[in-house]
Amino acid sequence: MSNSARESILGSIRTHLAASPAPDVEEHQAPLKIPVSKSDPIKQFKESVESVSGHCTITTDAADVLKQILTDLKAERIAHSDNPPNAHDIFGYDVGISTAQAAIAETGTLVLDSACERHRLVSLVPPVHIAIINASSIVETLSDALTLLQKKEISPAITFITGPSRTADIELTLAIGVHGPQELYVIVDGSK
Amino acid sequence: MNHLSSETFKENARAALADVQLRGALKNATSLFGERRKEAAASLPNWEDLRTHARAIKDEVLLHLDRYLEEFVRNAESRGAAVHWARDAAEANSIVCGLATERNAHIVVKSKSMTTEETHLNDALEAAGMQVVETDLGEYIIQLANEPPSHIIAPAIHKTRQQIGELFTAELGMPPTDNVDQMTSTARAKLRDRFAAADVGISGVNFAIAETGTIVIVENEGNIRLTTSLPRTHIAVMGIEKVIPRFADLDVFLKLLPRSGTGQRLTTYQSFITGTKRASSDEGPEEMHIVLLDNGRSRMLAHPVTRQSLACIRCGACLNACPVYQQVGGHAYGSVYPGPIGAVITPQLMGIQKAAQLPYASSLCGACREVCPVKIDIPRLLLHLRGEISPRKGSWAERLAFKMWARVMTSPSLYKLSSVAGRILQRVMPISRAWTNGRDLRPIESKSFHDLWSNE
Repeated sequence: MSNSARESILGSIRTHLAASPAPDVEEHQAPLKIPVSKSDPIKQFKESVESVSGHCTITTDAADVLKQILTDLKAERIAHSDNPPNAHDIFGYDVGISTAQAAIAETGTLVLDSACERHRLVSLVPPVHIAIINASSIVETLSDALTLLQKKEISPAITFITGPSRTADIELTLAIGVHGPQELYVIVDGSK
Repeated sequence: MNHLSSETFKENARAALADVQLRGALKNATSLFGERRKEAAASLPNWEDLRTHARAIKDEVLLHLDRYLEEFVRNAESRGAAVHWARDAAEANSIVCGLATERNAHIVVKSKSMTTEETHLNDALEAAGMQVVETDLGEYIIQLANEPPSHIIAPAIHKTRQQIGELFTAELGMPPTDNVDQMTSTARAKLRDRFAAADVGISGVNFAIAETGTIVIVENEGNIRLTTSLPRTHIAVMGIEKVIPRFADLDVFLKLLPRSGTGQRLTTYQSFITGTKRASSDEGPEEMHIVLLDNGRSRMLAHPVTRQSLACIRCGACLNACPVYQQVGGHAYGSVYPGPIGAVITPQLMGIQKAAQLPYASSLCGACREVCPVKIDIPRLLLHLRGEISPRKGSWAERLAFKMWARVMTSPSLYKLSSVAGRILQRVMPISRAWTNGRDLRPIESKSFHDLWSNE
């Protein structure tokens, strides 16, 4: 592993490309704009989250909704992304709570950025993940979210989350909660 | 044990055809995957434009692969990743084993990666004394069964739930059941323990973005996130063709890949990992290593026809659409890459003589080309490879038969004579077994089209 491997691979790429007959590559087009249905992005976001087995509540009192969910779950050990437990303790927690920096209406996707909070384990290891998002942070499309992420220096870990963890590896039968959370609650805070 | 060779495809296929359970499992899976893909593609009004666009991006990258790789490496390194170059499988394995050994690793967790299947990394790590745990549920199942994957995105697609239940009972001590949820939670509990103890996490890569040095990995289960977040060291292994130019290009690929693979609008998780953590109090591994693997890929750049093999995004749609794969399944191909795309990649990676039967494992129906999200012309590739295997060969009898055929077809009188002769001869001559083994041959009608036409 060395410079010699690097030089030999790059050399091989250049030699083989140079040997190739002239290409007939299609012209590279401008990025596509996908027409989006004109429905209200917040409503569309909620529908999308629910279509992938997540729960979504739109509220002006996020703290109250959160309290209610935690009461219903009878959660005892609760991990927060602003001050998460260490990587080995977190396996014993019931619920992880994070915010999300953006969300995508067309797919019901949460966008979590490691520059803003330590979300990587809190949103993954406990069997329940609760995410709180400002209604104003919901964008319409995947393309909008990607554009948003490029507006600043990229962080070490950005995670898109669409629904609870799932698998279909046994006879393509859906099973929820294989390695990540079995339940995902999204609270859309419309107070601002 | 089920490690078949590409060299014996015909025998492998014959054995697979006799396996009723396998064919049932395949029929269910491939038709379900096919329906879901079709629905998901139809949900976008501009599916065809997206395919064209994705292919144009891939073509652009491949034509300047050296430049984009260097850009990717520069950006990944400037954000703290260490990049290693591997000319072949052995070199990739020795880099990974070296990194793990230097860190005194005992337990290695892996998320699903076709590239490490290609290099047989697990064997190398085990030989170096490490415990390797596959954490994707499907990969975990086949690791327990000691079998290779049989599908690019659903490795245990060939197994029924009963077989998996029995396997879990025997290997994991699970109480007998064929309940999928129970099997899933058994695997979850077993694997959590391994995640917590792992020293090194090894992942694959779906897209590597030149502009930012980011690797993007997509999944549904969450095991990739655990693999790339928990252990101190993360090693990502990728083929050199995985690079794409810009962050914005993900828009197209993240629309095409999940819809083509599983029929989802997006998979549950996308991880965008760019270098290492910035502060020691941040989450995530201390070290990130990226291994760039050539292993025959740069050779494919030498011709526009073979070059398109490198556009593949490993969605598995061509497998589900292929009438051959639907019948024989993945193992018969004797390669980690089965189905139509496997039939074109395997001979190019392993050497054409070792997989000379694979380009013939196709009826050239074109279903693979229809579903490919990056418009790879697989039938053309198959023909190209067939041309390399047997340039202008064929037996003397075959050549003679085609010469006669051409003669008869270009002469109206000979043609008429032959159809009369055929009608008589078909009663007495045995028809070639090889042809009628798997299908009926309709008898020649007593009245020809010409007869009917002149009587009208």
